[in-house]
Amino acid sequence: MSAHDPHLGLRPAPSWGVRRFTPSWRWLTEAMWWVEHAFGRAHADARPEEDTRVRIFVILSVFSVVFFGLTLGAVHAAVLRAGGAGAAAGHPNAVVRADLVDRHGALLATNIVHYGLYIDPAEVWDRRAAVAQIRRALPRVSAARLNRALNGDRRLLVINRLTPQEKAAVHGLALGGLGFEPEDVRVYPLGESARHVVGTVDTGGVGLSAAERAFNDEIRAAGARGENFQISIDLRVQGVLENELAAAAAETQAKGAVGVITDVQTGEVLGMASWPAANSRNLASAATYEMGSVFKTFTVAAAIDTGRADMNTLLDASEALQIGNRRINDFHAQNKVMTLEEVYLHSSNIGTSLLATQMGPRVMRDYFDRFGLLATAPFEIPSENPITPRDWSDSTLASLSFGYGVSVTPLQVAAAMGALTNGGRYIPLTLRKGGRPDVRARQIVSPETSLILLDLMRRNVVRGSGGRAEAPGLRVGGKTGSANKSVNGRYSTAHAIGTFAGVFPADGPVGARRYQILLLIDEPQTYPRTGGFVAAPAVGRIADRIAPFLGVERKADAWRTAVGERIPAFEDLEGDGR
Amino acid sequence: MSAAVATLNRLFAWKIRGVRWVEIIGVLLVAAMVFSVYVAKAAAAREGARIADLERQITENGQRVRLLRAEVARLERPDRLETLSRGAGLGPVDVHRHATEDRLASLAPIPEPRPVVIVRTPASAPDSDAAPVDTPADTPVAAPALEAGE
Repeated sequence: MSAHDPHLGLRPAPSWGVRRFTPSWRWLTEAMWWVEHAFGRAHADARPEEDTRVRIFVILSVFSVVFFGLTLGAVHAAVLRAGGAGAAAGHPNAVVRADLVDRHGALLATNIVHYGLYIDPAEVWDRRAAVAQIRRALPRVSAARLNRALNGDRRLLVINRLTPQEKAAVHGLALGGLGFEPEDVRVYPLGESARHVVGTVDTGGVGLSAAERAFNDEIRAAGARGENFQISIDLRVQGVLENELAAAAAETQAKGAVGVITDVQTGEVLGMASWPAANSRNLASAATYEMGSVFKTFTVAAAIDTGRADMNTLLDASEALQIGNRRINDFHAQNKVMTLEEVYLHSSNIGTSLLATQMGPRVMRDYFDRFGLLATAPFEIPSENPITPRDWSDSTLASLSFGYGVSVTPLQVAAAMGALTNGGRYIPLTLRKGGRPDVRARQIVSPETSLILLDLMRRNVVRGSGGRAEAPGLRVGGKTGSANKSVNGRYSTAHAIGTFAGVFPADGPVGARRYQILLLIDEPQTYPRTGGFVAAPAVGRIADRIAPFLGVERKADAWRTAVGERIPAFEDLEGDGR
Repeated sequence: MSAAVATLNRLFAWKIRGVRWVEIIGVLLVAAMVFSVYVAKAAAAREGARIADLERQITENGQRVRLLRAEVARLERPDRLETLSRGAGLGPVDVHRHATEDRLASLAPIPEPRPVVIVRTPASAPDSDAAPVDTPADTPVAAPALEAGE
């Protein structure tokens, strides 16, 4: 290499540190020329071919990489993204919350697109005419809000939750400046019906009460899949229960009423109603009552199950029972020594008090606990806590034996009655169709005890206090309950509760299909105010009407024909009181 | 080998009006590919628009179905139906008027099958050419048949 390089000016060594301070366009031009003169420099260095090859190779490589990248991008966009987008879009019929349906698919709650009405005053020509027309098409719109929106300076919401019909009416006015924004609204087409079971949601679509709250996550998941969510309710049964409950409440001029119908074998609630329906409080779960004589069923069950009594046990109810200073009388005093059946059928306070005191606090407490009467009912809808006795003295035991001294929710009694009539298995009640899969039934009394109780309950309807609950051919059994309410710390005879806990059909094996109906009338004003008069007739009517829905056939049993006529052949032939 | 290469070179260098035929074919192929891609993209866009339109229709119909279902549910409210039924004088059927299929026979006996006599009207004078008929035309034919209600 010579000391003087004639091409020195053509290939200046880039010195970026210095050029950084020169104006940007100048070093950019120089850099371009440096690249442009590269061929010349290579030629001068006697490597022209090599330089060309390198350039071609480099450019080829760059283009190859770019095209390869583009190809990959195109393939990804065309093949992979399409599938991904399809999967992400989910079900075409997906909704925020699934439709809530009953056990046969009848609609209880659904999501309907409603519309918010917006007005942009800048686009309204004749404001006075617009007000008149909108108010005619939409009478429920507030005049103040309408005027504020029309006289404002920007687009404003006038009213929301317009139904599609209302939207069509307003849209049909063909007014300028009116806009609609869709909004998803939870709709309850049944109105007040079943509202205590179905519940409500907030505007954000989150369940606030009852089934909407209990199954919130599952309802949303089902909605994303475009499916319905079924609950255990049978709308036909629910309808009958509500109608008969309202009729019974109106007939007895009651303050409130509760009805619960369950499948005793699965624990499913088929119907649950609380009257008045307008009251947001569900009395089946949110109110506790001293149920009265219905509890005699539990006392007798405990006595039979422990082996302390059987159908031939005699109990002396010939005179009032004295416990300390307290005197226990019978409402319908028979003043005689009674069999267990007579105690149950005549609803003898003395008889059950004797049984309870004989069993003692430990046994009574154990059994009441087993029946779920001392703890909050395990149910999807949060329930009121029962009011349980503080001490378990003989006097308390006597009270408990005939349904005083302990306040429980109707749901607790319904679950306990279900357990006593399904072979002794305590199954928590549920609104989930098919029963709760996470809970195993608990054996609380023996199947034999259950059978005896079914028999006793049936006898109570045939010959005892529950006669008005008889429904032809449906073999209804049950127990009446009547209690005075505690007002200001004293039991008031003016405030009563009449209950009937029924079951049908009461015959057949313990595992047979069987339904429980609990009806409670709070503060009836008509006389007599006992459960046998205020609640039992409604239970009979309900059983009569829902039996075809539930597939219960009318049959004769030992006491009645299939059409409800008395079988004269039945007399107490053995004379054993059964 | 060299001959083959030479032929290939000659073929490659074959020009039409100064333009290599290889390049012409290449340009034509590229043009065809561009056109086919355009056609395919246009068709895909058309299909996409149609799919979007159908999906919109499905959504709209779905919403209408939901609306109608809700309307049906409202109209079939148990309390509403009962009020209407009671107003129309309807009520639960009395148990004595219930019957199973087995009892239908005892409630309304099946009528005895009776032979129905079909009398054929005498035929008009037969043609002289017609073949003689074995059965006299005026003989009534008894056709065993059952009355309705069988």
